[in-house]
Amino acid sequence: MSPHIQNLLVLTGVILLALGAVGFARSPRWARPRARFARNRTGIAALIIVVLYLIAGASDLILTPWEKSDGRPMTVLECVFQNVPKEATYSAPFARKDLSDRPLLRFHLFGTDALGNDVLELTLKGASTALLIGAFASLIYIPIGIVLGISAGYFKRFTDDIVQYLYSTVASIPGILLLIAIMMVLGKGIPQISIALGVTGWIGLCRLLRGETFRQSERQYCEAARALGETHPTIIFRHILPNVMHLVIINFVLGFSSIILAESILSYIGVGVPIGTASWGTMIDAARMELSREPKVWWNLSAASGALFILVLSLNILGDALRRAFDPKAA
Amino acid sequence: MPIPIFARNSPRVRIIGTLFFIAAVLGLAACDNNPNIPPLHKTRPDGSPWVVTYRAFLDDPRSLDPQFAYDEVSNGVNSNIYDTLLTYDPLREDYVLQPMMGSELPVFEPHPDGTETVTCKIKPGLFFHDDACFPGGKGTEVSSRDFIYAFQRMADPKVECPVASTMADYVVGFGDAYAAAEKSGRFDYDAPFPGIEEVDRYTFRIHLTKAYPQMKYWLAYLFTAPVPRAGVEYYDGKVHNGVRRPFFRFHPVGTGAFLLQDWRRGQFIRLVRNPNYNTIRFPKGGWPADVNAQLAPYADVKLPTVDEVQLLVMREQIPAWILFRQGWTDASAVSKDVFNSVIDAKHELSPVYAARGTKLIKDLDLDTWYLMFNMRDPVVGNVKVRQAMVLAYNANAFNEIFGNNILHLTDQILPPFMFGNEPGFKNPWRDTNLEKARQLLAEAGYPKGIDPKTGKPLEIVLDTQADSATSRQMADFDRSQFEALGIRIRIQENLFAQMLDKQMKGRYQFLSAGWNADYPDPENFFALFYGPNIVPIGHNQSMYQSPEFDRLFEQMATTDDTSERLAIIRKMNELLLVKDCVVGPIFNRVTYRLRQPWTPYFVKNSIVGQYGGLRFAVIDTRMREQKRAEWNRKNYWPLVITFGLVAAVVAYGIRRRSQANV
Repeated sequence: MSPHIQNLLVLTGVILLALGAVGFARSPRWARPRARFARNRTGIAALIIVVLYLIAGASDLILTPWEKSDGRPMTVLECVFQNVPKEATYSAPFARKDLSDRPLLRFHLFGTDALGNDVLELTLKGASTALLIGAFASLIYIPIGIVLGISAGYFKRFTDDIVQYLYSTVASIPGILLLIAIMMVLGKGIPQISIALGVTGWIGLCRLLRGETFRQSERQYCEAARALGETHPTIIFRHILPNVMHLVIINFVLGFSSIILAESILSYIGVGVPIGTASWGTMIDAARMELSREPKVWWNLSAASGALFILVLSLNILGDALRRAFDPKAA
Repeated sequence: MPIPIFARNSPRVRIIGTLFFIAAVLGLAACDNNPNIPPLHKTRPDGSPWVVTYRAFLDDPRSLDPQFAYDEVSNGVNSNIYDTLLTYDPLREDYVLQPMMGSELPVFEPHPDGTETVTCKIKPGLFFHDDACFPGGKGTEVSSRDFIYAFQRMADPKVECPVASTMADYVVGFGDAYAAAEKSGRFDYDAPFPGIEEVDRYTFRIHLTKAYPQMKYWLAYLFTAPVPRAGVEYYDGKVHNGVRRPFFRFHPVGTGAFLLQDWRRGQFIRLVRNPNYNTIRFPKGGWPADVNAQLAPYADVKLPTVDEVQLLVMREQIPAWILFRQGWTDASAVSKDVFNSVIDAKHELSPVYAARGTKLIKDLDLDTWYLMFNMRDPVVGNVKVRQAMVLAYNANAFNEIFGNNILHLTDQILPPFMFGNEPGFKNPWRDTNLEKARQLLAEAGYPKGIDPKTGKPLEIVLDTQADSATSRQMADFDRSQFEALGIRIRIQENLFAQMLDKQMKGRYQFLSAGWNADYPDPENFFALFYGPNIVPIGHNQSMYQSPEFDRLFEQMATTDDTSERLAIIRKMNELLLVKDCVVGPIFNRVTYRLRQPWTPYFVKNSIVGQYGGLRFAVIDTRMREQKRAEWNRKNYWPLVITFGLVAAVVAYGIRRRSQANV
């Protein structure tokens, strides 16, 4: 992909996200949830952390005109770290020497890994991989979940039977085994892992929307729309979808953390991202044996699992805060 | 209100619950950490202790059929179950052959027409293991027919002997027998086999189509180990009288020091002493002075000295290491990750382990690891590209990161202690020199690593079998080495089968490869680059073809270890490594192994150490018990804390209840 197209895509994603946030901030429809969310300080803190991760992740996706030694363009993050030297091998955080007792060129905030790479840079790059996969997988599973869930709940009967049969079948296969099988077929890579996570991750959303659509389609505003002769697509997209959108948002936020965890697990067991792509799962896998080293190399594991833990926890808190904000009973 | 434990239940339930809890805690405290399975017996029939040696083993063997097995794990077991005509002197590092089942070394007799005869004599009075496949369950005496049968099995396509094609090149009629069996679908073991002639019960002759001095090494390899025809035919995996018999590959019957007693896949393999073993005896002397006191009582005694071997299958290195540290296993390799806690900066045992009495053994393996290029590839087929890439590779950094600085960095393809390895040989492409590498790359038509056809950095694919975190790091390291030249390395990750397929079809650009020698002769290494051996027929995976090299190879392969042979090897090195730079040798593995203080070790030869060393195992069981008790003292503080917590909860409950009553 050319650098311009990549930058354009990243920029589009950021703009869409910003527009969504502005829409949420301005829409009178969501005034009450907004007010409830604003009162939730933990939720706000979680949102700030997630935004920081997004900034870090985006900085490793935006390409600059400068090039690396292999001719590939540098990302913003790589530009920031370009003066951080590569060491011979492991060095502890703030150390002056590496583990072979060689003086360091400069100290490293989170230390360095076996190949002498700065762990902080790798951790931030891991955020980019996690967020990219989370975003791509969400782009796949959310439309599937919405279409199938609302169709099943709205049309009922035969459509519902087919959708139920489909998700019951997929759900009966152990998740991680299904993911591994798909990855073995598709091969390693960010698009492949996003597809694998996307095609297996829609079931929860589909079930949720099916149930909610059942409820919504029986309500008077839907009856009125039908009485006025509105078509099915109009009723679904104009009336039902906006009324179930809060569930989609909550599911998206909570599902995002599950996707990030799944990506780390797949990379940990060696079927996730390819060699050379930073991933927290790969870092944890590499660090697994490092804990038995003498002296113990703990910083790799701590950085990767810490970053993963904070992001997943923040996403879960944010999802919970959104659920509370959108909960009609809370009013 | 917080409710104390069992407070809502009836008094009887509370009492039973509390007693159950205490019993569980006491039960857990009574457990010990010994993972070994109980030995078969506690004492021998004469009342002396039954001696067991415990080893962690990397994996289950694939097969216990000596004519088929070709992997380290399988041969690690097989070498204790089967004996061969010859073996290597365990007291010498430099691979000197000596008779094992043979009564003397084989005699090579060249003939004027270029053919050769090898006369082998075996010791009388050697018997197969006692087994149900023999009449009365008593193992029969080994004769020339059993060796001939081993060669016939190698020529049987159904056995799938990996070196059948090599034997077909040299043994008279071997290839014809193979082809006939392939055509008819069955090998006729009763038909004459012209390649091996039975002279008498204890003498046989091998007829070779041309001079082949390396045959002596094959006679020390498990492929030529005698197996009983009765055993192979008896253990056929079929149902007899309502009972299914195992396949021969899972029920070996050999002549070795041990016989297979029990094999539970993924758990353990139990070998027991062959009571009839009299092939070789314990050495009379020649071991290091530091183990003399422990080994002197065993001089010239009957082998093996241990009654039982337990090989615990442990695929993870860390648990295996912990068991060794606790004294539950008798020997262990020093893995990369525990290296720094065991070995000091001078590459000797750290004071902690030296104080425990642990012994360190350093084995220089008979292998070489190198960068291998596909000579038919349009990019790396260019000699200057290959030279630039080898020059860019920093082997010292690799050694520091992945080898704990103990790998033996090398300039040549032949490993040390092998004839033809010259310590003074200097490969001009092996010292890292980025400037010169860039210059060579420019001369090859890729200035600054840019491909003039695309205007972009030259892209080269590195195929790797990335099946672990370390192998992924190694591939990443390799990439970083070459990207310093401005070229772009794309790493292609493969499964084992994919990798093998690519190598056997020559569908790769370059990769990191290694060769573990079958036998200590330069022919075994140089055959990897011999033109007629190009894949898929042979193992020439680099697909190197040079008429001059092939001519030198043919000359070298049939020459004895003389100065003339050394001169030929020098020319071959010059061609292969300097002029054509087909491979970039990196290192020979050095394996650090640890032995517990109760098991003195004297084997200097890495082949015997790795394969068949168990027959020389000596265990001081009293010292082992003492050290195990010392290293595994029970900790009572978790029990005390648990009881303290229980007491606190009970006291709290009583207090709350008394307050409620008030």
